[in-house]
Amino acid sequence: MIALAIVLVAAVLPLWLSAYVLGVLTVAYYFGVFSMAWDLLFGFAGEVNFGPTFLIGLGAYTAAILDNNGLPIPVCVLAGTIAAVIGGVLLAMPALRLRGPYFGLVTLVAVLLLQNAIVIFASVTGGEIGMTVPNLISIDARVNYWFALGFMAISAVILFGLSRSAIGLILQASGQDAIEAAALGFNVTKHKLAAFCISAFFSGLAGALLVLYMGAASVGTIVDISIGVQIIIGAVLGGRRTILGGALGAVFLIVASEFLRPLGQLNTFVVSAIALAVIIFFPGGMLGAVLRAGERE
Amino acid sequence: MTGLQILIDGFAISALYALAAVGFTLIFGVSGFLNLAPGGIMLVAALIGWWAAGTLGLGVYPGTLVGVLAGVATAYLTYFLVVRPIQRSRKIPREETEIFVLTGTLLWGIMIQGAMAFIFSDNPVTMRPLIGGVANIFGVRTPWNEIMIAALCWIVIGLLWLLINRTPVGKSMLAASINPRGLTLLGFDLSRIYLLVWSIYGVLAGGAGVLLASFLGVGTANAGQLTASAFSIVVLGGLGSVTGSLIAAFVVGYLETVTAYLINPTLRPIPALLLLVVVVYLRPQGLLGRR
Amino acid sequence: MFDVKKASARFGRRFFARSGAAAAALGLLALAASAPAAEPPIKIGVIGEASAVAGASITKAAQMAADDINAHGGVLGRQVEVVIYDDHSSAADAVRAFQRAADEDKVSAVVASYISEVALAIEPWSGRLKMPFITPGAASTDISKHVHDDYAQYKYTFHGWMTSAFIAQSICDFEHDMIVKDFHAKSTVVMSEDAAWTTPLDAQYLSCLPKAGLKVLDHIRFNPDTTDFTPIFNKIEGEHPDVITTGISHVGVQPTVQWHDQHVPIAMVGQSSQATTSTFWKDTNGNAEGVITASAAAPGVAITPTTVSFTEAYIKRFGDSPAYDGYTTYDDIHIIADAIKRAGGTDPDKMVDAMEKTNYVGTIGTVQFYGKSDEYTHAIKYGPGLVTGVVLQWQNGKQVTVWPRDKANAKIQFPTFIKSPHA
Repeated sequence: MIALAIVLVAAVLPLWLSAYVLGVLTVAYYFGVFSMAWDLLFGFAGEVNFGPTFLIGLGAYTAAILDNNGLPIPVCVLAGTIAAVIGGVLLAMPALRLRGPYFGLVTLVAVLLLQNAIVIFASVTGGEIGMTVPNLISIDARVNYWFALGFMAISAVILFGLSRSAIGLILQASGQDAIEAAALGFNVTKHKLAAFCISAFFSGLAGALLVLYMGAASVGTIVDISIGVQIIIGAVLGGRRTILGGALGAVFLIVASEFLRPLGQLNTFVVSAIALAVIIFFPGGMLGAVLRAGERE
Repeated sequence: MTGLQILIDGFAISALYALAAVGFTLIFGVSGFLNLAPGGIMLVAALIGWWAAGTLGLGVYPGTLVGVLAGVATAYLTYFLVVRPIQRSRKIPREETEIFVLTGTLLWGIMIQGAMAFIFSDNPVTMRPLIGGVANIFGVRTPWNEIMIAALCWIVIGLLWLLINRTPVGKSMLAASINPRGLTLLGFDLSRIYLLVWSIYGVLAGGAGVLLASFLGVGTANAGQLTASAFSIVVLGGLGSVTGSLIAAFVVGYLETVTAYLINPTLRPIPALLLLVVVVYLRPQGLLGRR
Repeated sequence: MFDVKKASARFGRRFFARSGAAAAALGLLALAASAPAAEPPIKIGVIGEASAVAGASITKAAQMAADDINAHGGVLGRQVEVVIYDDHSSAADAVRAFQRAADEDKVSAVVASYISEVALAIEPWSGRLKMPFITPGAASTDISKHVHDDYAQYKYTFHGWMTSAFIAQSICDFEHDMIVKDFHAKSTVVMSEDAAWTTPLDAQYLSCLPKAGLKVLDHIRFNPDTTDFTPIFNKIEGEHPDVITTGISHVGVQPTVQWHDQHVPIAMVGQSSQATTSTFWKDTNGNAEGVITASAAAPGVAITPTTVSFTEAYIKRFGDSPAYDGYTTYDDIHIIADAIKRAGGTDPDKMVDAMEKTNYVGTIGTVQFYGKSDEYTHAIKYGPGLVTGVVLQWQNGKQVTVWPRDKANAKIQFPTFIKSPHA
């Protein structure tokens, strides 16, 4: 498949690229996982999560705080992932009873609450400016790159597989017409809750790994609404309901953002403007148009 | 003494919140869509107002006016560049329009923040007070400016109420919010009504931005928090209900003030957020919401 | 005429050939030596915060320093090139910028930030990447304590400004000298933002203020996100201190404007980083009148022979006076250049050795760094004859120096709404 070819090419890149570029791509791959996890929830379960960074932040900060207390890395990652899943369940259970804009609202509020909590407990979390993480996964840029690439590839396989499976189809049905799905006998809520948990699992895991790679965590780079928007844009750009599109879109966004770095402050402006244009004129996204044609039933 | 201080301080903040929230809820009421741009509009109004008053040397009152006009201009841009294209787009399925409007306006808000930070830097700006000096209200030292701001907010809200309930144009707006299709059938031009609503929104949000700059100071870092506060208040009060927004503005304003004075200034935004969460779970339509 | 034939006959062809070759070689050498800047420039990475009042001075002063050094022939015959990065006041962004500076742009040293959280985030990376790093504006004592505790790992980090402990001490000394002596103040409330640099600052305040003659009635630490300071000022007023001792850097405009607008009748004294630059007067619409802050230097006062000329050149070029970290950045770039010269090159370990032996007269005073056995290894030495900073006050739109007495060019004056301390 094309996807396999792309991964193989990507795996070979470190032989030519500098450590810094590898670093950018490493972050991009983690964001790819964020976007894929988001697409599972939105594209399939039909739930717009405006606060993916709530789950990511929980995973990242839990891992960071534990790492600062000297716990071994695998423990930190595990704890971060669990924290995110618990957070996801707490958020999902009441939220799934809500319709329309209110669900999105609650997810937004969750992010705000987390942001405020981090700032208030600044002595533990470093507040707005951020905290550092002493023990990293690795300092070698290549090792980190292959790790992230492998992680993204495996996550893509799992998430894509899920989306094509029976569960995925049920989710899609529930997302597009909940009443009919329920009439057909499917427990819509249970399936959406499962989707939430899976999304939370991957978000939290990727978040913890990202922090243990970067060595620093701050509200502005992990939790802020603008980060959540980047993730959503990545998924929409790549194509809703394609899962793989999410990875593509996120990587594209981050690489493009890097190219525009010389613009300084205007960087965010330009990237947001491009994203806005895409949303208005090409809502199907990059992969969306391609895959949808084959999918139509 | 502290009680009186809280009463006065809370009143001023609540009036400002009310100004911002009322415009926000009007938009939702008439068009059925939420948008995440109010913080951006307030920011532009505040920064342009400061720039006009100080750097251009226009002075406080003309500067304030220029700021409000800038707010209206931004509101128009938001409508024409972002919201209307999405609403009219045939490529976006109807159920998803709302989400796209939210995402689009969120992006637009970020663009505004980026552009403003680039032009003006992140530093907060303050407008010179409209009236200088302090008054003494039963022993509580209050800047005259604060009193003036509260008064201005109420005057504007009062005018708005008159507009909606006593003028034909206002009544058609009200009708549009209840039944847009019915209105078109009767021959009313919905797009003109939308334009009117967005103008009012621009004036209200712009005004709130400039006044906030005068009272506390506004910076690009505040924009997100402002949108969040406006959002919370509108949801609390009930989407689409102007009276609901007014009441909610005061509830939130006083909750924040009491927390800041009696508990800890650091915990200021928390109670309002928690209240919002509780309300959304227990009574999602808010206090007086209709939809 | 020189007859080659006859000369060759006398001295032999080989001689001619050899001397010919020697002459040619000498000629080539001469050409090479006189070739201007054939060598690559020395790059210094500078990470600042373009949209923060204090952070913007860093990159501007760095550029000025580089231009001045190049105008005097560069370092070891090479030009100095400043590579600028903006970290948007975020530790994570700063770390990325640092990595880019080291890996991509291959700089020889990094000058970064006035925010302690940022400096602390970069510190471990300077060790991991063996990149000499100096901060011109951060103040946390942890920066130098880390160097003391793990010298082998952290030796590449230098603290190019006074640590919080010394800043607090200088303010205590000032308050003892003037606020207590001239104004008979007896009590104070400490008001600072909750940030990494103020933890040691406040600890020192709480210990040295009583010794200076001021009873500490309360200690308030507020969220740097705060926009409404009314409840805080209200609380302070209720406690009736004679003066407010501040520690603010991330915020500045809002508390100062509100302090003025509400006519809070108590003077504000201490460290207010944003108040050290002249853009502050504009940003606060003149409400900075009467605010007193410690700084590295101030316009019009010659701490050293170069202070005044630097300040004037900066104002001429950029329109505003430098913030405190403008002075320190200017000095720090020179210190790096000086170290490279003495080290004979840009080898990191040799640079570190050379920097430790720094004895440089900059704009802020004579800069020397503490050594391995001192508590604050690689921090700037504090004391008379070295670096003490000055205390300035805003009067009628200008920054005047009020302390130390031998450098002061004005007396302290408070706006009329200030009721305490009263002379």
